[in-house]
Amino acid sequence: MTIALEIKDLHVEISDKEILKGLSLNIEHGEMAAIMGPNGAGKSTLASVLAGKEGYTITSGSIKYLGKNLLDMPTDERAAAGVFLAFQYPVEIPGVATSTFVRTALNAQRRHRGESELDGIEFLKLAREKAKELEMSEDFFQREVNVGFSGGEKKRAEIFQMSMFSPTLAILDETDSGLDIDALKIVAAGINNLRSDKLCGIVITHYQRLLEHLKPDTIHILADGKIVKTGDKSLAILLEEKGYQGIIEAA
Amino acid sequence: MTNSSNIKNRYYQSYNDNQSLLPGLDLSWIKRLRDDAITQFNQDGFPDKNVEEWNVHPCKGLSDTFYESRQENNYEIDVKSIEKKDSNCLIRVIFFNGKVINIEHDTLPEGIKVNTLSFYLKNNPEFLKGKIKSANEYSEVRLSNIIDSRPQSIVALNAAFHEDGAIIHIDKNIEVPGFIELLHIGECEENTMKHIRSVIFLDKASKCEVLENIKQHKNNNLVFTSNVTDVHVSEGASLSFVRFIEGNSKNLHINNVHVQLDKDSKFISTSLINSKGQARAETRVNLLGENSSSKINILMMGTNNSLQESLTKVKHSTKNTKSDQIIRIILDENSRGSFQGKIRVDVGADGTLANMSGKSLLLSNNARVNSKPELEILADDVRCSHGVTVGSLNAEQLFYLRSRGIPENEARKLLINSFGNVIINNISTNLAKRAKNLMLEDRNKND
Repeated sequence: MTIALEIKDLHVEISDKEILKGLSLNIEHGEMAAIMGPNGAGKSTLASVLAGKEGYTITSGSIKYLGKNLLDMPTDERAAAGVFLAFQYPVEIPGVATSTFVRTALNAQRRHRGESELDGIEFLKLAREKAKELEMSEDFFQREVNVGFSGGEKKRAEIFQMSMFSPTLAILDETDSGLDIDALKIVAAGINNLRSDKLCGIVITHYQRLLEHLKPDTIHILADGKIVKTGDKSLAILLEEKGYQGIIEAA
Repeated sequence: MTNSSNIKNRYYQSYNDNQSLLPGLDLSWIKRLRDDAITQFNQDGFPDKNVEEWNVHPCKGLSDTFYESRQENNYEIDVKSIEKKDSNCLIRVIFFNGKVINIEHDTLPEGIKVNTLSFYLKNNPEFLKGKIKSANEYSEVRLSNIIDSRPQSIVALNAAFHEDGAIIHIDKNIEVPGFIELLHIGECEENTMKHIRSVIFLDKASKCEVLENIKQHKNNNLVFTSNVTDVHVSEGASLSFVRFIEGNSKNLHINNVHVQLDKDSKFISTSLINSKGQARAETRVNLLGENSSSKINILMMGTNNSLQESLTKVKHSTKNTKSDQIIRIILDENSRGSFQGKIRVDVGADGTLANMSGKSLLLSNNARVNSKPELEILADDVRCSHGVTVGSLNAEQLFYLRSRGIPENEARKLLINSFGNVIINNISTNLAKRAKNLMLEDRNKND
């Protein structure tokens, strides 16, 4: 398999404080990579930098995605190129219906890729299909984006968007936080449904529970701004036993 | 100072010279109304910085320019050139340069009477008696119990100089299908002023929607227009009153609506204001009857060097009345905006429920907004809330939209529209589409 995402010696600062300190990571086509690490290690910073959030200074290093320099692309172009970030805290947008938002976004991505836009009927057909897979009721189409959603509904809505956009690089930032066991199963099934040899995934999590459902190909431990250890699912089990400190020290 | 007092004297002089040309002078009560008003104006002058209601952004060109009320008018308009009457509109009254030039309608259902002020003054003055209020009627009673007439001096000027207006009279139990539109257009000589005085009277248990549609005057020089509307909603009746206020950079428009609400009556008003010049909308509501309720929704949008202002005064005068106010202000470039809103609960007005929420969105570093929510509660058993916020576009929301592939410009528009949608979505289906075009889509096209 070939490498889809190549992060090389990435150094990132927020207001003069270095958060990522030479992070390197390769992800292949079809690979599901889990990133685990203690609080403050830089996991969410990595997710934000991949999606193109402002306020981060990249002092050195590079991110190549499908051969293109990701750091040169504005946020919305990255989305059109297949990058999707499922937010740890999905943002509420009062006054905008969820269906309006998703359709605007989907059509903007399609336009950017030179594809034809979906009309209202085509969109609704697709949206209904995807909502059904995630066991979501259709009245959420008309609800304002994330407004008044429960924690579980917000996360499910993120996965709904992901399935609508069919990205090729999905970054799931603590998608399991705030989910009960049943919701976690549905969300995990939703993610598994999207797995293919075209999708690479980065799953950021603190817990092994989600990983049991997702069965990642690789597990990477991020500590103090760097990947300190890489392994397979046995690493997650080791982690449960020894804790981060034990593994970081051993590394 | 000398300049503005000179100008004040010129208005007084102009009134004395021209009053014989003003309609209704043969009626003693109209003459008294006009005479009292010019006397009051002559005493108070234009409101200056010392008047609390006017001290935020003084209107440019108001107190230092003399506006002629009776210009020779060389402009005419072909009625056919005006955009067609909306299909949901039952009756349309067209004002050109402050005078009614046409009233359009098909066969009218019983109990709906719409005509000009001049017609009523000539043919049915008894109906109007007591319905055109003196400027003092809605003057502020300060907490010191002193009546302050100064904030109302434009209303006084209007009372003295008004030449025409529309009278809407809905009979008992009549529900008006569609809406009634008062369309204001104009093109006149420089430094002209036009005062319009209208009356809306809803008899018991009637229901009606009125659109006051103020279009820009086509002028290169300052034009000052003032519309004052006296509204009386009788027991069990319900009025929806919508104002669309536009204007070009040379237009100065001041709009007053005075509302009196009887028992179990409802007043629902929406004002959409996006003048490129200066526009000020005042809404004064007196809840006089038990269980009456008032809803005031205002959306103001400013660009360039424009000024948009809104003032509300809602007075709860009796038991168990209810009021709601939602104000949204969106300002770009160098525009200015202000909102001053007051809820007053009189002694004994127990069981009052009153809410006010004002939010402003500043899209540029040079835009300025002033918001002043006020509560004056003189009763014990009331529930009131008020709050205002000022902010810019939320960076988290922008990032969220962009991370989904929506380009920045489009994401900004989506957020700006959603901010205004709180007001637009509350407009009746009759007018929703036009409201959207007026405030959001047209604006976006101009970007």
